[in-house]
Amino acid sequence: MKAKEYWRLYRLVCKTKDLGEKRHIMFEQNKAMKWLGYLFAAFWCAYLLFFGVVLGNAMSDGPVEGFDLIDGGMIAFIALDFLVRLMLTETPAQEVKQFKLMPISVKFLIGTFLTRRILSSFNIVWLFFLVPFGLIQLPHYYGLGGFFVWVFAWWLIFAIHSQVYLIWRSLMNRNFLFTLLPVSIYAFLFYCGIFDDEYTQMIFGDNVEWLYNACLWWWRSILDGSVLPFICLGVILVLIFCLNLVIQNKAIYKEIAEVQESKVKSREMSVFNRFGIIGEYLKLEVRSIMRNAVIRKQFILGVVCMLMLSCMTAFTPVYDNNLFMKAYISMYCYCVLANMMLVNAMCPEGNYIDGLMARKESVLSLLKAKYYFNLMMFIVPFCVFLVPVIQGKSTIGESIGCMLFSAGVVMPALFQMAVYNNMTIDLNKKLTRAGRSNKMQIIVSMVALFLPMIIMYALMVLVPDYSSLILGLLGVIGIALNPLWLRNVYNRFMARRYVNMDGFRSSRNA
Amino acid sequence: MTLTLSNIKKYFGEKLALDIEQYTVNDGEIIGLVGNNGAGKTTMFRAILDLIKPEEGAVSIDGINPAESEDWKEITGAYVDSGFLIDYLTPEEYFDFIAKVSNISKEELDERLKPFAGFMNGEVLGQNTLIRNLSMGNKQKVGIIAAMITRPKLLILDEPFNFLDPTSQLAMKSVIENYNKETGAIVLVSSHNLTHTIDICTRVTLLEHGKILMDYDKETHKDVMKEIEDYFVGQAPVTQE
Repeated sequence: MKAKEYWRLYRLVCKTKDLGEKRHIMFEQNKAMKWLGYLFAAFWCAYLLFFGVVLGNAMSDGPVEGFDLIDGGMIAFIALDFLVRLMLTETPAQEVKQFKLMPISVKFLIGTFLTRRILSSFNIVWLFFLVPFGLIQLPHYYGLGGFFVWVFAWWLIFAIHSQVYLIWRSLMNRNFLFTLLPVSIYAFLFYCGIFDDEYTQMIFGDNVEWLYNACLWWWRSILDGSVLPFICLGVILVLIFCLNLVIQNKAIYKEIAEVQESKVKSREMSVFNRFGIIGEYLKLEVRSIMRNAVIRKQFILGVVCMLMLSCMTAFTPVYDNNLFMKAYISMYCYCVLANMMLVNAMCPEGNYIDGLMARKESVLSLLKAKYYFNLMMFIVPFCVFLVPVIQGKSTIGESIGCMLFSAGVVMPALFQMAVYNNMTIDLNKKLTRAGRSNKMQIIVSMVALFLPMIIMYALMVLVPDYSSLILGLLGVIGIALNPLWLRNVYNRFMARRYVNMDGFRSSRNA
Repeated sequence: MTLTLSNIKKYFGEKLALDIEQYTVNDGEIIGLVGNNGAGKTTMFRAILDLIKPEEGAVSIDGINPAESEDWKEITGAYVDSGFLIDYLTPEEYFDFIAKVSNISKEELDERLKPFAGFMNGEVLGQNTLIRNLSMGNKQKVGIIAAMITRPKLLILDEPFNFLDPTSQLAMKSVIENYNKETGAIVLVSSHNLTHTIDICTRVTLLEHGKILMDYDKETHKDVMKEIEDYFVGQAPVTQE
C-alpha cells in the first residue's frame, strides 16, 4: 500500500514538473522558437547519428578496434557530457522549494527529482552516436548481446554522471569558484586520456597511457560478460544517489534561508564622469556586474574563458602546428566575453525596463555603454597576446586584426539580440542558463562563433598574406559605423517595444 | 499643459480592458483614479506612458503622441511598480543616476531631495543598502521620489499609498499636494484608499471595466465621497444571513 502511495505521489510530482517545463514562459511567449528548438535538437541527434555511422565504418579497418578507441577514451565523453550539462543549472534543492510546504516528505521529493535525473532523456543523447557506432563495430566480435550490454553500460555511466554533476552543481551554486574544481579535474583527465606529448610524459613517464589502458581493461571486462563491472556501477550509483540525498537536503535550507548581504560600499567611479550620460550608463553596467550574482558569474566565466584561451595560445604548443586553429582561437579570445554577455542583451534590463523607457533615448545610451564596455575589455586578451608576439609565435598584426574584427563585425551581430530578447533574467537567482537561453540566442551565439571561422578560413586560403589586414579593415569599418548600427538596433528595439515590454513583464516573476 | 486620451481601446485577448472615448486633464489638476481591481487604472497609466499599445485611439501629452515621439519623457515622471527601479543601486546612486541623465547638478539634486526628508523618515538615505533590500514601503518611496525629482509637468503615481505605514501615508498626501502647488503640474494618482484620494484630489474619476463611469470636479460636486461610496456599496455582494 505504501509503495503504491509513493508511486502515485511520484507520478503526480513528475506530471507537475513536466507541465511546468511544457508551460515555461519561454515557450509560451515564443511558439516559433519552441519548434526551432525541436529542430535544433533533431539536428544534433541526426549529426551524432551520422558521425556514429561514419566513424564506425571508418574505424572498421584500422589497426586498433574502433570500439577500443572509444572505450579507452571514455573520459573524453564524460568531460564533454559535463560541458553539455552546464546548461542544466537547477538542482533538486531548488526544485523542492515549490513543494516544500505540501504534505509530502522532503526526502521523498528529493529522491523523486534525483530519480528523474537518472531517467532523463538527457542521458541518452550520446547514445545517438554510440548506438550506430556500436552496431557497426561490436556484433562482429561480441554478437548482438554484447552490443546491448555495451550500450546499457554506457547509459549507466551517463546516468551516474548525471548524479555526479548534481554534486558539482550544488558546490558551484554554493560558491562560483567551485566551478574550477570539476573543470580542472575533467580538463586534466581529458588531457591525460587524449594527449601523449612531452607534458604527459613528464607527469607519467613511461606509463603515459595509464588512463586509456584502465578504461580499456574496464570495458573489455564488460564485453567479456563479467558481472563485476555492473555490480560496481550499481554500487557507485546507489552511493552517489544517497550522497546526493544528503547534500540536496542540506542545500534546501540554504536555498530557503539565504539572506543577502544588505550593506554595500558605494563607489563614485569618477573615471566614467568624463563620458557624460554614456558614463552614467557605463557605471550602471559595472555596478550590474558587481552586484548581481547571475551577471557577475557570467562575466567571471567569460573572463576566465578569455584568459584560458589566451594563455593556451600564448604559453602552450597546442596550436603551434595548426595555423588556422591558432588564428581562430586568437579571434575567439576576443569574442568570448562579448558572446557570453551580449547574447542576453537587455535581459537583465528587463527588470527595470519600464524605468528606462520612461526616459528619452536611455536605451540608446545603454547600448552605447555596453558596446564601449566590451571594447574596453579587449585590453585583457590583447595584453596576454603580447606574449606569443614577443616569442615570435604570432604577429601583432594578427592580434590587432582579430581584435578589430571582433569589435567591428562580431559585436554588431551580437547586438542584434537587443532587438529580439524579451525575457527578463532574474539577476540573483541561481537558476541560470536553463531558464534563459532561447533558441534565437543559441543561433546568434553559433553565428558569432562560426562566422568568423568561415571568414578567416576563406581569407587564409584565398589571400593568406593579407588575411589579418582584411579582417582589420572590416573591423575598422564596423567600428566607424557604430553610431549608425547602434541607432539602427535602438530604432528596431523601439519598433518592437510593446512586444518586448510585454515579454519582460511576463517573465519578470516567472 | 494638457493630457488627452481620445477613443482609446485596449484589448487583452477578447477582453476590452480599456475603453475611453474622451478624457482631458488640464494644468494644475490632481486626478484621483478610483475603481475596483481590474477596472483598468494601471492599464490606463501604461497606455499614457507608452508601455502598452492601445488597439485604437491616441494619447496626447502636451500635444505629443507618446507612441510617435519620445519628447514627452522630458516632461513626465511616473512610478507604476518596482519595474521602474534599478534595484541593484543604492537609493543615493539611483537618485544620482536619474539626476545625471536628466542634467540635474548634484547641488540641485540635494536641494530637490530636501523636502522629502520627512517622507523618507531616515530609512532611505544613508543606509548603504541596495534598493532591492529595502522594505516594500521604502522601495515605493524611492520610486515616487525618483519620479518627482525631475520636476515633471505630468506626474503619474499608481497606488502610491500601498505598502506605506499610516505616518508615511499622511506624509505622502502632503508631498503630492505640495508638489502640485509648487509646480502646477498635472498629478494622476490611482488608489483604493478613497479617503486619501478624495482628500488630495481636485477631480475624481471612477473607472470600471475599462470605462469612465463618473468624473467629478470637487469644486462643483461637494459630495463626491458619498456618491463614490454609494457606487461601491451598490457593487458589494450581499451576504445572506
